[in-house]
Amino acid sequence: MNRLPDVAVDGIAFWSSRLPGWDIARAVIRGEQPPPTTSNPRPAPALLAPTERRRAPDTVAIALEVASRACESAGVAPAELPSVFASTHGDLAISDHMCATLATSPTLISPIKFHNSVHNAAAGYWSIGTGSVAPYTAISAFEHTFGAGLLEAAVQAACAQQPVLYVAFDIEAKGALATVAQSRGLFAVALVLSPADGRSARRMAMQMRSVDAVSLTPSRSPAAALVADNALAPCLPLFEALAQTNDATVDLSLGHKVILSVALSLRESLIQRLP
Amino acid sequence: MRFQPLRITAFTVCSAAGDGREATLQSLRTRRGGLTPNDFSATPLPTWIGRVPGLESDALPAHLSDWDCRNNRLAWRGLCSDGFLDAVAAASARYGAKRIAVVIGTSTSSIGASEDAYTRLDPDGRYPADLRRSIIHTPHSPGDFVQQALQLDNTSVTVATACSSSAKVFAQAERLIRCGLADAAVVGGVDTLCGSVLFGFNSLELVSPGRCQPFDVARRGINLGEAAGFALLEREAARGSWLLGYGESNDAYHMSSPHPEGRGARLAVQEALRRAEISAADVDYINLHGTASHKNDEVEARVVADTFPESTFASSTKGWTGHTLGAAGIVEAAISLLALEYGVLPGTLNLDTPDPACGPQIRQQNEQRSARRALSFSFGFGGSNCVLAFGRSDL
Amino acid sequence: MADPLLASETELAELIVNALNLEGIAPADIDPQAPLFKTGLGLDSIDALELALEISKRYGFQLRSDDENNVRIFSSLRSLAAHIAEHRVT
Repeated sequence: MNRLPDVAVDGIAFWSSRLPGWDIARAVIRGEQPPPTTSNPRPAPALLAPTERRRAPDTVAIALEVASRACESAGVAPAELPSVFASTHGDLAISDHMCATLATSPTLISPIKFHNSVHNAAAGYWSIGTGSVAPYTAISAFEHTFGAGLLEAAVQAACAQQPVLYVAFDIEAKGALATVAQSRGLFAVALVLSPADGRSARRMAMQMRSVDAVSLTPSRSPAAALVADNALAPCLPLFEALAQTNDATVDLSLGHKVILSVALSLRESLIQRLP
Repeated sequence: MRFQPLRITAFTVCSAAGDGREATLQSLRTRRGGLTPNDFSATPLPTWIGRVPGLESDALPAHLSDWDCRNNRLAWRGLCSDGFLDAVAAASARYGAKRIAVVIGTSTSSIGASEDAYTRLDPDGRYPADLRRSIIHTPHSPGDFVQQALQLDNTSVTVATACSSSAKVFAQAERLIRCGLADAAVVGGVDTLCGSVLFGFNSLELVSPGRCQPFDVARRGINLGEAAGFALLEREAARGSWLLGYGESNDAYHMSSPHPEGRGARLAVQEALRRAEISAADVDYINLHGTASHKNDEVEARVVADTFPESTFASSTKGWTGHTLGAAGIVEAAISLLALEYGVLPGTLNLDTPDPACGPQIRQQNEQRSARRALSFSFGFGGSNCVLAFGRSDL
Repeated sequence: MADPLLASETELAELIVNALNLEGIAPADIDPQAPLFKTGLGLDSIDALELALEISKRYGFQLRSDDENNVRIFSSLRSLAAHIAEHRVT
């Protein structure tokens, strides 16, 4: 009870403006490279046809970047995977545009921005870009978003007995909304999870625990400062553990009095391709 | 771990068609729709809406005041209907508050509160003091509110996949229960009228200037509505209608237009039938998505005509409630459950001349007849589709 | 070789490129007689709505989606610019 069947981590992706990829993020986490000081602009969603590509807001650009990279690193065809998209605050820039425009001239709402304002915009663009009819979901759970999405992806993998794509992202708050929604910069991560078997090199055993006092694994690496002010920062401890080769347990927030304990293990002898 | 049908041991719905199940059933029986001319906002667009009266003067209990906003007031009204609070309290006593998950669907959460804030910013451009509560300005507002209001201690997640949101919550909850992470779940959804949806859909020219007419050859678009609904799913219970199955898919076509052949809709229907272990001919009633948008209804009508026999009774009930977006899934699930329980099969309000794409399945008039199995269709923006399959309690 | 653009057409071309975030095309390179929709620039119905909004903001009049002349009005940059010249208020 409360324990899920183990999942294998087949693919990992990471993007923030100063850590624009898992290779650089892993190197910085491990202290092999100093944190870069330059900021990169948002990635161009090459996956999308021109019409969708020019309409894609920042949320879609970073979500699709990590989704693509995770599938590449897992060596799986994107079109086959059901997916879970998670974001704490959704598209804060579009929310600001909607509210500001409504306050002054409501009939001047941009149709393109409105059609991008749905919380499932990134998921929708992903399915259009990959041609995937496999179902997606788009969720939020406030400060528990990353853990909740991870659990949902693992649950789907267990129930469907197939790989699932998990994408999480948050962007910078703009305008007056920034006074109640704290988030800076662009940050997105993705994982491809599948039911673990004897050949799985990197495994996660997840357990949901009810607690009286929530105690979470802190971020400790040099990468932490680079994403600390983004709403998705709670995901970083898991990626710090994924960057290492030793076994570790990471406690993520799942609810007001609920923790998701993720026990990671790595069988180096099984590594053919280590994500 | 195979899918197992779950009992729905309690459910409730509040919309423009009435507060609670009894009022909703009466509206369906007497064919009294809840649509009214739009009076929402300072400069209302010329359209009709499904507005729930009195929310402006509703109050949340003092201990929930941090969550106060129109959306959560409507959620509270829903939770307070049909003995739902008592049903959850009883389940909580039986399983423990830690064993009941919460999965709530919405499309815009309480963005109406953010819209309000922007009209009353203080001189520094900050939100006014009464609205400086982060939880109501974020997508998880309804999921968090429902969990707090019901004093549950398992997970709570808000699903926001546009119009399929509060149908997908049934599927998500079933999986949690199947994996042993919960023994029961409160699922549902809530969405309220706000500037974003009224003016947003208007900008896409999807809003009808008159009453919406699903499947009518003369339809001119949707009417927006607001609603809240909830259902209690239990792993093991002796009573209640059944969640027999579900199907989920994407169109993978366009953000705001459905696939012209209904590719995703067909996949979701087939998966729901397969999971429920029934055939199309076993379905007595279908609550269609039927938004009265030009494209949805055309595509959906053909999917129905191609898939189901003449004897299947199908209708859109959006003429009663309007399109309640993220709450449409739960509202129409509730109507499907009422159809099974009472044999009241609602026709399609405001449908005068069916579009040529319609087959004989799509009905205008109500019928009183026994129904044992129902499907509910929800097809959303961004191409997200969910079909739910329900069974009468004596199955 | 496409016609050179009139000043009004250049202005409209810039509005289109900016409003729709068209990539890899400079306003001056738009063929004024080429189709805007489906082929040519390849715009779709959502783009038409977005353009109508931007045109109303800039030029102060509303393009109506039920105007029976829309196929002609929107058939090219030149025809759209001419229509705007005829109806603009600002």
